[in-house]
This record gives sequence, structure tokens and C-alpha cells, in this order.
Amino acid sequence: MNCYLGIDIGSVSSNFVLIDEKGRVLLDLYMRTHGNPIRAVQEGLALLQEKVDVKELVISGVGTTGSGRYLAAVLTGADVVKNEITAHAVAAAFYYPHVRTVIEIGGQDSKMILLKNGIVYDFAMNTVCAAGTGSFLDQQAARLQIPIEQFGGLAAHAQQPVRIAGRCGVFAESDMIHKQQMGYPTEDILMGLCEALVRNYLNNVGKGKKIEEPIVFQGGVAANQGLHQAFERNLGMKINIPPYYAVMGAMGAALLAREHIENVRHSTQFKGFDFIVDSDFQTQSFECKSCPNLCEVVSIRCGDQILAYWGDRCKRWESSIKMKHSRLKVI
Amino acid sequence: MRVGIPQGLFYVYYYPLWKTFFTDLGVEVLSTPPSNRKIIDQGIAHAVDETCFPVKVYFGHIAELCQEEMDYLFVPRFVSVERKHYICPKFMGVPDMVRASFTKLPPLLSPLVDLSRTDKHWRKEIMKVGRHFTWRGKKIEQAYQHGMEELERFRQLTRQGYSPPEALLVWEGKKLPLPGKGDLNIGVLGHGYALYDEAISMGLIKRLREMECNVYMVEMIEKSYIESRAATLPKRVFWTLGRKIAGSALYLHQQTDIDGLIYLACFGCGPDSLIGDLVKRNMQDKPYMMLTVDEHSGEAGINTRLEAFCDMLRRRRINSESNLPTYGQLLYSLQGSVEGP
Repeated sequence: MNCYLGIDIGSVSSNFVLIDEKGRVLLDLYMRTHGNPIRAVQEGLALLQEKVDVKELVISGVGTTGSGRYLAAVLTGADVVKNEITAHAVAAAFYYPHVRTVIEIGGQDSKMILLKNGIVYDFAMNTVCAAGTGSFLDQQAARLQIPIEQFGGLAAHAQQPVRIAGRCGVFAESDMIHKQQMGYPTEDILMGLCEALVRNYLNNVGKGKKIEEPIVFQGGVAANQGLHQAFERNLGMKINIPPYYAVMGAMGAALLAREHIENVRHSTQFKGFDFIVDSDFQTQSFECKSCPNLCEVVSIRCGDQILAYWGDRCKRWESSIKMKHSRLKVI
Repeated sequence: MRVGIPQGLFYVYYYPLWKTFFTDLGVEVLSTPPSNRKIIDQGIAHAVDETCFPVKVYFGHIAELCQEEMDYLFVPRFVSVERKHYICPKFMGVPDMVRASFTKLPPLLSPLVDLSRTDKHWRKEIMKVGRHFTWRGKKIEQAYQHGMEELERFRQLTRQGYSPPEALLVWEGKKLPLPGKGDLNIGVLGHGYALYDEAISMGLIKRLREMECNVYMVEMIEKSYIESRAATLPKRVFWTLGRKIAGSALYLHQQTDIDGLIYLACFGCGPDSLIGDLVKRNMQDKPYMMLTVDEHSGEAGINTRLEAFCDMLRRRRINSESNLPTYGQLLYSLQGSVEGP
């Protein structure tokens, strides 16, 4: 059976989705990146290999997305490398063809994507501040010693959410500590935080944007029932959560890979499970001293072979590899 | 005699004038390379915390320049370059901030540039600077005239489609091809000293061109178009650069072949926070994106936003083209029973 693999390497989680030719999800994986995207890719593919009978499946295309998309593309030989916004929009429009607004909250980013006829026509991302994203919730849950999985459930039981400052993560934390020391129940504080984050999101990311139904809420944070409730209450609209909400980026990447293979290129560059899982990928970074820019250049190598360089502003290192690649192709 | 001119702030707008003026007076002009990591680090170390990033980078250029021997350091005090319009107040304090932040400095040449009411003082200021090098008033006046001519030649180059840093290279005699043609037309707005500094804007213009976009800049637009559009705003924008940005945005908004606009704002810039929002409110359905930059050097953020923006414009275009009945298909299916064209 032909299938397509989507990989989303985010700052906090790494997600993998296998879909068949019709777009049905065969397998989805959500795991933590733990600050090591290379190991995340290898572990993810090793898990996929365990769970499905790889011999029965043929990977016909691979798409990568997320902030680690270039790295993942180099390791796997991806056919499509797409930004998260397009990937999320494509996935949302696949499940909800008439979707108008996508709310996506991930580990470091929060985004709002507005669509018309299945096409992105406007989007916004959080600017310099990452308050109100998954990693801030993670951090607060850890501080209160509540497993992040139970955070939303607890918040949803709040009787009277307390008021927490939502403009800045630092202010929110000091507000939370203050209220906690005054004796407010934990669930009320948690729900207060959810309300604050929603306010922050709508005023910051959604500033001046017209939010219209149908609305889809996706990304790892969509698991949080407290936020789901807070969004519905604040907007007074119904919020849909897609079945594979946590891996929608990977889903979009898989769909884009399918589109690309079907329309443009007919064979995949996928390097194969065994190669990716068994290879010893090394990264090395050094300061390029060729000019006063002192770029921090990273090289990804597999044994003796250098797969990629990046980080150099003048592209002196990056382009040296591309040339070799193209030469290889000609032969 | 040697004069040092740091490559920051208004360098990108006025360097040809300054360079010609000093050279004509028989002065050797020293400058710094385009901003790089080392310059930025020095700038952050020397500048006051609360200033915007371009000012910090300017301080880095001064630190870099101070390693050389020179007789004077040229740090003009900009207040206003035209009647009733002003430059950001931080520029007014730059010479003082520089004096306060560096211990070993060559004497500063800081003419007061204030044309807000009259240009009478400006003539005196030019003379004052020139008198350091010659007593012949006529020579100073001629040098300034010549400088203005060279400035005009430089501005001519920017109107042809070179970005100001490219135009500076061409002005200095380097041969550069005009940027190639892409399939998307994008207007890029922002304060020039941020937008055109590759280290501050993280190479925004270069990145857009790599993504096959034609970049439209304030400098490429006819001045009268900018002014007439800016005049339609209910309240006069009293910042010179802000007015030009707002006027250009309104002009580009009306051009149907411009696919979208990008505004590069500096974190902590007062004018940007107002003008950026003013522009946004006047954009209606033209795609518009605001990018905020500061010290960060991670490229993932800017790349994602630019890629997504270009993707959106290209996909939108496919969508809107397929809605037009150019191929006759849609018209046919809409009208159902009517015969196809």
C-alpha cells in the first residue's frame, strides 16, 4: 500500500503521521523533542517501524514541517519542506473544508490562520513574546506539580476563575503565586490562567482579525479542556477540535507531500527507515572566521559524509554542499 | 586629516552627501563595514539598555571606528530634515549618549540638523563643520553643493530598483546588476536604518528576493505620490520617516499588482508601534504582515513567517485566478444550462 509520511519537528513535541492515498490516518505519533531533534526523528521512525509492518507499506512521499523542518528534511530525504502555517491550514481544511479560523497553539508559537474557500488569506503569529504557549503552561504545571495531562481537566472544574494578568508570562506567574498564597483553590487559579491566556491570544495574535465560524482549535495545547472552554466562553462561538489535533502539522505535511508527489514529482527521495534509524548522525558547530560576522555554522554529518551546513549568512558553507549534491544527481 | 563616519542610522540615507563634502574639503573619510556580529556585541555593551536596536548597533560602529586613528568623529544631531516634520527624538540625543558612553573619543563633529522652522541655522552649521578644515567659505559651500548633487545621483539609483545599500555600492563605482524578476510583488516598509541593515532586518530583502519576490521600497516610489496619499490621513504624521512609510503604504495599497506588504518594526520603537498600526488599519483586504526584530539571531522565526506569507500570496492567486471565468469553465458550471462559450 502506498502511504505518505508527515513529520513535524517542533520546539516541544515531534509528531509523525502516516496517511494512505485517501488521506486516512494509518498511524500517528506524538512525542517530546527533548531538545534533540535528530534523536526525535530517529526514535519516531523506529517506533513507526515497530508499530506497522513496513514491508507492506511503501512510503511514497515525505513532508516535513515545524521549526526543525530543514533538519528533518536532511535526515529523511523529504520531498516537501513547508512552514507550519501552510501545513496547519491544509490539515484543518482537509477535515473541515469550510473552516474560516484556525487557532493553533504549540510549544513556542501561537498562530491564528484565517481561511476562505480552503485557502489561507490572512494569518498572524505571536510576536516577540511566547507567553500563553505550551511551554509556559508546561512550566506552570511543573511548578504546581500537576501533570500537564491533568491541567485542563482540573481547570475545567473551577467554580470561579481568578483574575490573572495575561499580558506577560512573568506578570502572570507573579499573579498566580500571589493568588495561591492568598488561599484561592488551585483549579480556580488554573482556570484563571486559561482565561488570561485566551485574552492574551485574542488581543495579541488576533488583534484586528475578524474571527468567523467554523473555528478549529489544534496543536498540542488543544488537549487542554480549560482553554477550550475559555475560548468558547470568550468568543461565544463553537470551537471544533479535530480528531488528530495534536499532530495536525504533521498531517498537513503528509497531505502536502501527497499533493507534491501526485502533481509534480512522481518518486520520493525518502532514504528508508533502516538508513535513518541505524545511521549515526553527528552535528558539529563552529564559528566561521572568514569574516567579522562570526556566523555560528552547524554541520550535520553521517559518518564521513556531510549532509548539510547552515547558519552562515553568506551561504559559503551551505552552497558548497548543494553543489556536490547536484553533481551527484547528474551522475 | 581623517574623519570617521559610523555606518549606522542615517548613513544609509545621507552617506553620499557626507562623503563628498568631506572629500572635497581634502579630508579622508573612514567608515566601518556593514554591521556584523562583533559590531553588534560591542554596541550592546556600550549603549544604554532602553534604546532601540539600531541605535545600539550604531554604538557598535563607533566602538569599531574608535580602534582607528582619526581627528574627528562625525555624529550629526538630527532633529528635523524638513519643515514642521521631525526625526525620532532618540536621534536628538545620540551625540550626548555617545559622549556619555565612551571614555576615549576623538572630538565629535555634531552639526545640529534642524530644518523644522528655517534653514538659516543649517547654513551656519555647515560652515562650522567646514571651518575645521578650511577657512574659505566658498569652498565649503561648493563642497556642500557637490554633496547634494551626489546625493541626488544616489537617490536616482534607488529609484531604479536598487536597495539603498546596493545603490551605495553602485554610487561608489561598483557594478551590480539590477535585482532579477520574481512572480510576487511585495512592498517592504520600515525605518531605513533597520530595514536596509542586513544584520538588523535579518536580511529581509535578500530573503524575499531568494523567494522570487520583487521588492518595492519607499525610495522607489515617486515622491508626489507618497505626499498626496499621506495628506489624506486625518491627522498629519509629524515624523518624516513615518509619513513616508504611511504615504507609501497607502499608495502601494491602491496598486492592484502589489500582492502584499511587509512592515519591519523594531522592538521598542515608538513611531513603529503607531505607524505600523496606522498602516494595518488602512490595509483592508491587502495582505499585510508586521515583523518585529530585536537582538535575536535565530532565523526560524523570520523564515517561517516569510515562507508562510509568500505561500499564502501564491495560493491566494491560484484561487482568485480559478474564480475568474478566463477559461470559460467556471462561467459554464455556474450558469448550468447556458451553452459554454
